[in-house]
Amino acid sequence: MAKILKLMDINKVYGDKIKTQVLFDINLDFEESTFNSIIGESGSGKSTLMNIMGTLDRATSGDVEINGINISNMNKNELAVLRNEFIGFIFQFHYLLPEFTVMENILIPYRIKNKNITKEAISRAEELMEIVGISKVKNNKATDISGGQQQRTAIARALINEPKIVLGDEPTGNLDSSTTEIVYDLLRDINQRYKTTFIIITHDKRVAEKADRIIEIKDGRIEMDISRKI
Amino acid sequence: MRLAFSIAYRFLKSNKGQTDLILIGIIIGVSVQIFIGSLIDGLQISLVDKTIGNASQITIVPAGKDKYFLEDRALLDTLKTNDNLTAVSESYDNSAFININGDTYPILLRGLEFEDANMIYEFSDKLIEGNIPQLQNETLIGATLATDNNLKIGDEIEILTPEGVNQRLKISGIFDLKVSNLNKTWIVMPIEGARAIFVNDNQLTSIEMQVSDVFKADTIAEEIKNNLNNSSVDVVNWKEENEELLSGLSGQSASSIMIQVFVLLAVLLGISSVLAISVVQKSKQLGILKAMGIKDNQASFIFLFQGLILGTVGAILGSIFGVLLTYIFSIFVKSPDGTSLVPFYLDYKFIGMSALIAIVASMIAALIPARNTSKLNPIEVIKNG
Ligand SMILES: Nc1ncnc2c1ncn2[C@@H]1O[C@H](COP(=O)(O)OP(=O)(O)OP(=O)(O)O)[C@@H](O)[C@H]1O
Ligand SMILES: [Mg+2]
Repeated sequence: MAKILKLMDINKVYGDKIKTQVLFDINLDFEESTFNSIIGESGSGKSTLMNIMGTLDRATSGDVEINGINISNMNKNELAVLRNEFIGFIFQFHYLLPEFTVMENILIPYRIKNKNITKEAISRAEELMEIVGISKVKNNKATDISGGQQQRTAIARALINEPKIVLGDEPTGNLDSSTTEIVYDLLRDINQRYKTTFIIITHDKRVAEKADRIIEIKDGRIEMDISRKI
Repeated sequence: MRLAFSIAYRFLKSNKGQTDLILIGIIIGVSVQIFIGSLIDGLQISLVDKTIGNASQITIVPAGKDKYFLEDRALLDTLKTNDNLTAVSESYDNSAFININGDTYPILLRGLEFEDANMIYEFSDKLIEGNIPQLQNETLIGATLATDNNLKIGDEIEILTPEGVNQRLKISGIFDLKVSNLNKTWIVMPIEGARAIFVNDNQLTSIEMQVSDVFKADTIAEEIKNNLNNSSVDVVNWKEENEELLSGLSGQSASSIMIQVFVLLAVLLGISSVLAISVVQKSKQLGILKAMGIKDNQASFIFLFQGLILGTVGAILGSIFGVLLTYIFSIFVKSPDGTSLVPFYLDYKFIGMSALIAIVASMIAALIPARNTSKLNPIEVIKNG
């Protein structure tokens, strides 16, 4: 199967005067349409790694290849376009724009990409809202819905441009355990439905075990990398 | 771009208090600017009008030391068809004396075509008694001369010329030109009568003119001079003879511009600082927009558009308030005689310019905050929740 994302000899060093290395020679690749989880202790470097995968941060050394293209030589604008069209983000906090409604929030990545909102875009947004179960609140302001609904809105927003990869940094970190369960089932469902590749950081062992592959990071190195046979 | 605009609009709408405050700032700034500008314009126009509104603004006079020049019908006709001129009046003037009960006083005997001269001096409106002279031996005298010497309509006065001619004239009316020197020394009569006294047919001492735009008097005078090709006459205009007034006016204009610049500067700093705070307040939103792939310059446009929206709304409302303020001032602030101290005067070009400058300034003020968005790193936002 095709490699959708490749990390080659990634090192990350923070700081100018006092240097702290948080990632050491990371080599990882991810296959298309798989569901991957990353676990590890707090401070082990998971978020740092994910930000590098998502082009939000640059590695100190090493290369990142997304869909076969090395991103090292891309400028800020090219990376922005890549993120917009290729990657969906779900963070621990929903980061919805409080000035906009649920529907409008979901459409923002689409509007960054396209000039006009088409009928197709709206029906896709409606389909996504149906899937994540927020159709009833679509015209509410983003601040006027529950935490779980906000996180689902963020998920729908991450998916509106039909990204090849969805990166989640503890996407359910803020939710109670039963909602967490529901949201993960949802992500799995989307993974199967749209063949989207998921890479999800989680603290929850039970959640991780449902993934196709579990990667454990310890002190900036890969401690464990196991795949379930599919 | 459209997204940047709609985000800008939503940001403004969501921070109503802040938006209103900054808008009030711009409105006050623009309206004060328009008020002060219109006030000073109005003052200047009324000052100029009082000074030269009833006087010759461009005058054709004899060249050099000559006292007279030959009347030229063709020249008169071209002047009368000149669109820049609102009045053209020939005159034959000469100094003489008036003899009242054995006392003689120096006077200026002015021979005019009343129909033309009215366009400048408005004798018909300024008569306090009597009528415009119909006959060649009738005359108007000033109010001061009349009261000082107890002269009445129908009285006869005796004119003595330096050449020794002695002529009696009948008073047909008494004028008040509001200038005591003129009220005392001007004896105004039909031009043919004046020429007859001095035996000077077909001669003129001046052609007096008024223009539609008084501040263009010098260029119009220059044009007339160039088309004249008559070496026996010269063309003068009010601007060369009123340099003090003009320098006073330009000093006033300069101080008005200074005030406007400082008002604008204050508005500019206000917008800039509020938008700079807004960038910090909205850093979360900007961070997530960047993570989702908004480009740096698009993010900057969010703040430029905020400047544009604030500037446009502020400029429009400010213009309306400024005009209103000027209007109210002209109605309620009156001089002792009941006329408004400053006439209500609107220069649409000036108002348009003020509004435009305010809009451009608002966008310039938004430039620094807009540029600051580029420095914003999405990771910082995501990390700090
Ligand atoms: N900007 C920074 N400057 C210096 N050190 C940093 C910076 N960001 C992160 N670190 C350090 O890098 C290490 C890895 O941080 P990272 O956020 O990747 O951990 P994490 O695995 O995501 O932890 P958690 O589970 O708590 O989110 C930590 O020791 C952290 O202190
Ligand atoms: Mg983390």
